Amino acid sequence: MASSGSSEAAMPSPATAIADVEAAEQLIHRWDPVASPSHDRMLFDGSDRADAELYLRAIDHLRQSLGPSSPAPASPSRSPSNTIQIAMARLEDEFRNLLLSRSAEPDLESLDLGSLSISSRSSDHDHDHDHDHDQNLSDAEDDPGGGSTRVASRSASSIREIDLVPPDAVQDLRSIAERMVAAGYARECAQAYSSARKSAVDTGLRHLGVERLSIGDVQRLEWEALEAKIRRWIRAARACVRVLFASERRLCDQVFGTPSSADAPFAETVKGAAIQLLSFPEAISIGRRSPEKLFKILDLHDALSDLLPDIAAIFRSGPAESIHTQAADILARLAEAARGTLSEFENAVLREASRIPVPGGTLHPLTRYVMNYISLISDYQPTLNELIVTTPSARFSGEETTDHPEINFPDLDNRTPLASHLVWIIVVLQHNLENKASLYKDAALSHLFLMNNLHYIVNKVKDSPELRGMIGDEYLRRLTGKYRQLATSYQRAAWVKILHCLRDEGIHVSGSFSSGVSKSTLRERFKAFNAAFDEAYRTQAAWFVPDPQLREELRISISERLLPAYRAFLGRFRHHIESGRHPEVYIKYSVEDLEMALMDFFEGCPPSVHGRKRSH
Amino acid sequence: MPATDFQGSSSPSLFGRSIMNLRRDQVHSMDNHHETESSQEHALEAFQRLVADLFQGLAGGEELLSLPWVCKLLEAFLLCQEEFRVVFFSNRAIVGRAPVDRLATDFFDRSVKALDVCNAIRDGIEQVRQWHKHLDIVTLAFDPTQKTIGEGQVRRAKKALVDLAIGMLDEKDTASSFAQRNRSFSRSHGANKDHRRAECHFRSLSWSMSRSWSASRQLQAIGNNLSAPRGHDVVATNGLAVPVYTMNSVLLFVMWALVAAIPCQDRGLQTHFSIPRTFPWAAPILLLHERILEESKKRERRNSCGLLTEIHQMEKHVRRLSELTENIQFPLAQEKETDIRNAVQELSLVREAMKGQLDLLEDQVRQVFHRIVRSRTDGLDCLSHHPV
Repeated sequence: MASSGSSEAAMPSPATAIADVEAAEQLIHRWDPVASPSHDRMLFDGSDRADAELYLRAIDHLRQSLGPSSPAPASPSRSPSNTIQIAMARLEDEFRNLLLSRSAEPDLESLDLGSLSISSRSSDHDHDHDHDHDQNLSDAEDDPGGGSTRVASRSASSIREIDLVPPDAVQDLRSIAERMVAAGYARECAQAYSSARKSAVDTGLRHLGVERLSIGDVQRLEWEALEAKIRRWIRAARACVRVLFASERRLCDQVFGTPSSADAPFAETVKGAAIQLLSFPEAISIGRRSPEKLFKILDLHDALSDLLPDIAAIFRSGPAESIHTQAADILARLAEAARGTLSEFENAVLREASRIPVPGGTLHPLTRYVMNYISLISDYQPTLNELIVTTPSARFSGEETTDHPEINFPDLDNRTPLASHLVWIIVVLQHNLENKASLYKDAALSHLFLMNNLHYIVNKVKDSPELRGMIGDEYLRRLTGKYRQLATSYQRAAWVKILHCLRDEGIHVSGSFSSGVSKSTLRERFKAFNAAFDEAYRTQAAWFVPDPQLREELRISISERLLPAYRAFLGRFRHHIESGRHPEVYIKYSVEDLEMALMDFFEGCPPSVHGRKRSH
Repeated sequence: MPATDFQGSSSPSLFGRSIMNLRRDQVHSMDNHHETESSQEHALEAFQRLVADLFQGLAGGEELLSLPWVCKLLEAFLLCQEEFRVVFFSNRAIVGRAPVDRLATDFFDRSVKALDVCNAIRDGIEQVRQWHKHLDIVTLAFDPTQKTIGEGQVRRAKKALVDLAIGMLDEKDTASSFAQRNRSFSRSHGANKDHRRAECHFRSLSWSMSRSWSASRQLQAIGNNLSAPRGHDVVATNGLAVPVYTMNSVLLFVMWALVAAIPCQDRGLQTHFSIPRTFPWAAPILLLHERILEESKKRERRNSCGLLTEIHQMEKHVRRLSELTENIQFPLAQEKETDIRNAVQELSLVREAMKGQLDLLEDQVRQVFHRIVRSRTDGLDCLSHHPV
C-alpha cells in the first residue's frame, strides 16, 4: 500500500514547514508539462517508483499546508492551490495512462464458462436449462423485484473476479485516487476512470458475443435465429455478470477505497454495458406470443433469475442500483411472456380447425405436436409451477366456454395450476379430435381415428413420469376406457355387416325334411361375405394403426370374432356348395386365407395385387 | 372552446359529428342499438376532445422544448394512451374482427417502433447527464467561496469546458473538434494521444443502439403510410378508425418531438405531418410542430445536437465562459473577474434547474416505454382471443 509518506507523527517547525512547502511546489512545477514540456515520461511508469513517491509526498505536504488558516499566497500563480491544480491535472493524466497502459485484457475465451453456472447445473445440454433448482433452494426470501422469488443458497464461487489490472498498478491507482478525492477532484477522477474502463468493458462484451440489437432487429429475426442468440446470450450473460461486472466492481472498490466513493465511477463505467446486455431479454419479452417460443423464453427466464442475486450484489448501491431494478423488471416480463405464450398455445389447440381428414385414420399431426409440447412442459415443471398460478377454469369462464359449451371440463381439484392446465389442454385436444373424427364419412374409420389418437395420448402420458404425475391415473384410466370403447365401436361398425353374412337365420328353410337349407340363400350369403370382406380388405389395408401393439390387438380381436364364425359357417354349409356347380366362386377363402389377409389390415398401404392362396 | 355539451348542436362540425350523420343515414334501421351507439359516439368524441385539450395546453404554459415542457408532453401522451385503452377495450367485441383488427395490429406495430426511440432517448438523457457532470466541475472550479480566481482554477475549468464543448458537438463534427481541443492545451505526452483515442471511442460507446440505427429512419417507419381514415373506413369500423388514427398521430408527434429535443443517433426532423384540420387536435399539434421546426432552423440552433432549451443555455454559457477564459492574463482585472463570476453564476442556475428534471424525464420515458409495452401486450392478447 503506497503510503502518502507524510509524516503525520512529527510536527514540523514552521520554518521547515514552509521550506517543505516550497520544495514541494518546486517539485510539482518541475513536472508540469505546460511549464517544462521536456519532461515527457510518466511518473508512474511501472519501473522506478522513487519519483512517483516524491511527487505524492509533495502533494500531501501542500495539502497539509492548505489548512483552514492558510495565508494568502504571495503570487497567485505560485499559490499552493494553484500548484495543487497543476498536480491534479498531472495526476489525472497519470491515472488515465495507468489505466490504459496497464489494463490486462481478460482472457475470456479460456474462462471455464460452464463452471460459472451453479455447481449442480450442466450448462451444456440441449435445452440449456436446468432441472435442479430444488437442490439449491434455501428459505425463499421476498424478492422485491417480483417474478421469481427463489433465492438460491448460493456458493460465492459462482462469481469469479479476475484481475483487470495488475496489483501494483492498482496500488498506484489507489494512491492517485486518494489524493484527487481528498483535493476535491473526485469528479475528474471518476470521469477519467470511467472513460478509460468503458472501452475495456465494451471490448469484453464484444468478445463474449453480446450484440447491439434494437427491439426492431429482434422483432424482424426468425425464431430459429433468435433461439441461437438466446443460447449465446445466456452463456455470455453469465460471464458478463459473474466475471466482467464483478471484476469491475472489485477494481473500483480497490481504487476508490470506499464503496460510497466507488459507486459513481462504477455506475458510469458499466451502466451502458449492463443496459445493452439487458436489452436483449427485454426485447424477447416484448415479442409476439407464439407457442414455439415457450421453452426458450423459459430458458432465458431461468438464466436471468439465476443471475439476479449476483446482479443484486454487484449493482447494490448508488446509481447502479437501477440496473438491478431493471433486471428484476425484465424477469417479471419474461414470466409474463411465458404465461402469455402458454395461453396462446392453449388457444391454438382450441382453435385449430383444419378440416382435411388424415388419410388412413392415423395420428393427426396436432396430436403429436400437442403431446410433445406438453411433455416438454413437464420437463420445465419446476419453473412453470412457479409461474403458472391461475387455473384455466378461472381464465376460460368467459367467452371460450360459451363458444364451446360441449367441452366437458373435468374436475380439477387437488391439482397444481400447471397440472390443471395440462389436463385442460388434453381435454381440448380430445374435443378437437372428436370434431375431426366426425369429418370421416366412414363411421368405422372415424372410430379408428379417434382410437389411434387417444391411444397415443395415453401412451405419451405413461412414458413420462412427471407428466403422468400431473395428469393423474384417474384421468388416464378414463382415456384408456375411451379408446377401448372406440375399438369396440370400430369393430361393430366395420364387421357387423360382414358377420351378419354368416348368421344362421334365413338359411334353413322350415318344414322340409330332406335338405332344410336354401341353396340359393347360401350362395347369396357366400357371395355377400366375399364381397364384403374384399371391400373391407381393400379399404382397411390402407388404414393405419401406428402403434404396433394396438394394431396387433385389434387384429386379434377381429380374428377372434371372424375366424370361429367363418369356420363354423364353412363347417356347416360347405358341402351344400361343394356339391353344386362352381364352388370356388362361392367359397373363395379358407380360414387360413382370412387369417393371412387380416395381417394386412391397418398397415397403411393399399394391398398389392397378388394371388391369394386358396385351399379347399 | 365550445361547451362540452355533446348533445348540443352549437358545437362546430367536428369529424365526430359527421360520423354520426353518416351513420344515422346508413343504419337508421338499427333503432334498438341507438342507446349504446350514442354512448359509443360520446366516448369517441370525448377522446378527441381530450387530445385536443392536452395539446392545446402544451402550446401555452411551459416554455416550448424546455425539460418541464418535455415532461408535460410525455404526461399528455400517457393520458391519451390511457384513454385510448379504455376506448379500445370497451369495444373488444368488434376489435377482433376485420377490418378493425388490421387497424389495431397496425397501431401495435407502430408503437413497437416507438420503443426503440424511447431507448435512444434514454441514451440521450444519459449523455446530457454527462455534460451536467462537467458543469459540476466548472462550478466547483470557480468556487465562489474562494476570494480570488487563480490560474489553477481557470485551467481546471477550461479543461472541463473544452470537454463539455466537444461532448456537445453534433456527432458529425467530432473529427474536427479534436484538433481544436489539443491546440488549446499544448500538451504533448503520450498520455494525451491515448486520451484522444479513448475520447473518440468513448463517444461511440455512449450509444447502446447498433451503429446503423437511425432515429430519423425510425420516425419515418412510425409514420409510414399514416393517413386519415376515409368516410367508408370510419363506418366500416364503427367509428374506431378515428381514435386509432388519432393515437397513431399522437405517437408519431411525441416521438418526433423527443428526437428533436434530445440528442440521439442520427437525428433528423424531416418527418412530414399532414393532418386534416377537421380533427380538433390537428391545429395544436401542427402549431407545435411548426414552432419546433422554426426553432431548429434558427442559426444558433442549426448545429445543436438537441433542441432542448437547457442545452441551448448550456451552449451559450459555455461559449461565453470559454471566451472569457480564452487568452486570460494573470492577475485578473477586476472587471474580468466579475464577468467570469457572473457567467459562472448563470451557468450554475442552469445546472441547478436541470438536476432533478433529468431524473424526472428519465423516469417518464421509462413509464412511456412500459405503458406502450403493456397496451400492446394486452391489445394483441385481446385480438388473439377473437379470431376472425
